[in-house]
Amino acid sequence: MKKKVLSILMTAMMALSLAACGSTDNSTAPAAGTDSQPATAESVKTEAETPAGEQTLKVWCWDSFNVDAMKTAGAMYEAEHPGVSIVVEETLSKDIQTIVQTCAMSGQLDSLPDVFLMDDQVFTKYLQNYPEVFADLTDSGIAFSDFAASKVANSVSGGKNFGVPYDSNTVIACYRTDYLEQAGYTVADLTDITWDQFIEIGKVVKEKTGMPMLTNVQGEPDLLNMILQSAGISVFDEDGKIDLVDNEGLKEAMEVYMTLVKEGILQEQVDWSGYQGSINNGTVVGTINGSWICATIMSTDQAEQEGNWAVTNMPKLNDYAGATNYSAQGGSTWAVCSASKNYDLAVDFFKSTWAGSTEFYDSILTDLGAIATYLPAAESEAYNQKSAYFNDEAIYSKIVSYGGKIPTVNKGIYWTEEKEALGIALSKVINGKSDLDAAIAEAQSTVEFNMGQ
Amino acid sequence: MRTSGRTSKRLTINQKYSLTGWGFLAPAAILICVMNFYPMIQALVLSFQTGIGNNLQFGGLSNYARLLKDPVFRTALVNNFVYLIIQVPIMLILALILASVLNIKDLKGKGIFRTAIFLPCCTSLVSYAIIFKTLFSYDGYVNTVLMNLGLISERVNWLSQEGSAKVIIILALIWRWTGYNMVFYLAGLQNIDDSLYEAAKIDGANAIQSFFKITVPMLKPTILLTTIMSTNGTLQLFDESVNLTGGGPANSTLTMSHYIYKASFEYNPQFGYAAAMSYVIFILVAILAFVQMKVGDKR
Repeated sequence: MKKKVLSILMTAMMALSLAACGSTDNSTAPAAGTDSQPATAESVKTEAETPAGEQTLKVWCWDSFNVDAMKTAGAMYEAEHPGVSIVVEETLSKDIQTIVQTCAMSGQLDSLPDVFLMDDQVFTKYLQNYPEVFADLTDSGIAFSDFAASKVANSVSGGKNFGVPYDSNTVIACYRTDYLEQAGYTVADLTDITWDQFIEIGKVVKEKTGMPMLTNVQGEPDLLNMILQSAGISVFDEDGKIDLVDNEGLKEAMEVYMTLVKEGILQEQVDWSGYQGSINNGTVVGTINGSWICATIMSTDQAEQEGNWAVTNMPKLNDYAGATNYSAQGGSTWAVCSASKNYDLAVDFFKSTWAGSTEFYDSILTDLGAIATYLPAAESEAYNQKSAYFNDEAIYSKIVSYGGKIPTVNKGIYWTEEKEALGIALSKVINGKSDLDAAIAEAQSTVEFNMGQ
Repeated sequence: MRTSGRTSKRLTINQKYSLTGWGFLAPAAILICVMNFYPMIQALVLSFQTGIGNNLQFGGLSNYARLLKDPVFRTALVNNFVYLIIQVPIMLILALILASVLNIKDLKGKGIFRTAIFLPCCTSLVSYAIIFKTLFSYDGYVNTVLMNLGLISERVNWLSQEGSAKVIIILALIWRWTGYNMVFYLAGLQNIDDSLYEAAKIDGANAIQSFFKITVPMLKPTILLTTIMSTNGTLQLFDESVNLTGGGPANSTLTMSHYIYKASFEYNPQFGYAAAMSYVIFILVAILAFVQMKVGDKR
């Protein structure tokens, strides 16, 4: 009897779960239909009758920092355009990449949002591999000349623009002034210097405070790439071929990196959270990264760090021809999906906010500390505001002034492969498994192998 | 004529039964075909194509030829076999010993011990990998404990050295999977008649002798099963490589599955090549399972 009851219960449960599956299936199918079909009908109708009818622009971006900036832009646009709503959905950078790839592979572009944010390091790669995903913005009327040239170049393919630049990738060097003081230095001693000078200072600081000057994630040679770009050294030639062997600049930059590690001036961390932790816990003197790192620096719970940070430029590659103290790292760019039915709305939205409103940039700078690459905004008063966290210095105008001096390098679509191969090369040389020339040759052949598909 | 017509329409009781049987089987069978076999065939077709992303063209066996020239794949293959050869025997022997100890009749708190050893299996692969990473990180728990005990004078960067990174992955795997295999052995042990042990005892055999002469031979089918499962699992190792070490330092802990993932989703997508690598793993697992069955199963 007991068994019978049990079996009836089980059957009922299975039937229910099946029914549940069935019903979700049924409900999603028409929902998807209502989502796309009447929306098309609606947008067609609104385009024909009133341009400012009921329209929705869906945006994907990651990180509360980007989400809040986009929401600010959305609120500004919505206030001036009744009937339009800008919906921002938080989606991780990696997820956006995977979804773009999957949608492009399957040809289902309509499951992508109207607008999405993409990491600058991979923008070109996706643009080259899946050009059908990106809407051409060249003739949209967006003034691309208003953005920093090195940044715009990242989303250009075949002379056409496919992205609206967003946050600044200008590299800054941030140091703890209290630690420097213990070693007898000031930030001025670290401004406009070379790596050789930096290493000398680093040795003294390490001896007096016991702390490394910098930290970095092992196997991820972001710093190496920053050094390379600061001296205008390309690891890809004009035709996009990998150019590591006999690249004197690369060798010099790698030698600098390895000296930093060997002398204990650069402490390698296992992962990104280790890197962040070293900054927030005060176990490192400084860091060199894109200016977005300010958000990490300010996110510490150690109150004594406030007012003890200073911003300056990064060291330059000694006497290498073309070496500067300025470089780029990270950052991201907005893209419009080619399948979007709201192309005109998206363009108009960008023209009146991200590519046309200095008030908007003032507001995200003041509220969120978001430093953009929109040049007219740099002339605004807001950029001259002083940051209490950084010793009452006007760091924003400083960062913007660095932005114009960054050398341009060829990056291409094999950026990830190159970065990884160089990371492995560094790790092998540092662990004594290989000498520098052999490691570079191996990195070259690894990247070439991946390009050979 | 008429009657024969009627009988041919009417199903015999056996036909009815088999029809019902097929009726029950059909949904699952169709689902397996659509969800499992169809993608497998598609992957085989894909493995003969070359190109980046969606621009694929037929390339014959070129992906398989490419595999032979790929030093990274070779490194990953060697890594997988190092894990297999070192980790699987240690884990299975440990599981066998634990199972026989926890099968002792008058052992107190058996349930608690069994649960405790099985519990690691319930943790998610990602979270346990991250916990191991945190434990062995530069300012992690292991370094702190060793420093306080005075066993090391300076913190060690465990995960940035080839040897120690591999050892940590093996330790992590043993921690995660020993309990799982132990449960199989415990189940197998319940099928061994106590009278065998009693007879051995009367004949003067000690515990070690009865372990090797009774337990191990009687558990042979279970041991075979766990060996094949562990081999399969180790060759497809993914989470630990991705989350614990990221394949580093310098690819020294990279597994084949991790490399497949990289080729498809981190590099410029080489789906054809990735599919070819998957088939190589498939063939390797099949060969190893076949060998183990030939060697282990003499029934």
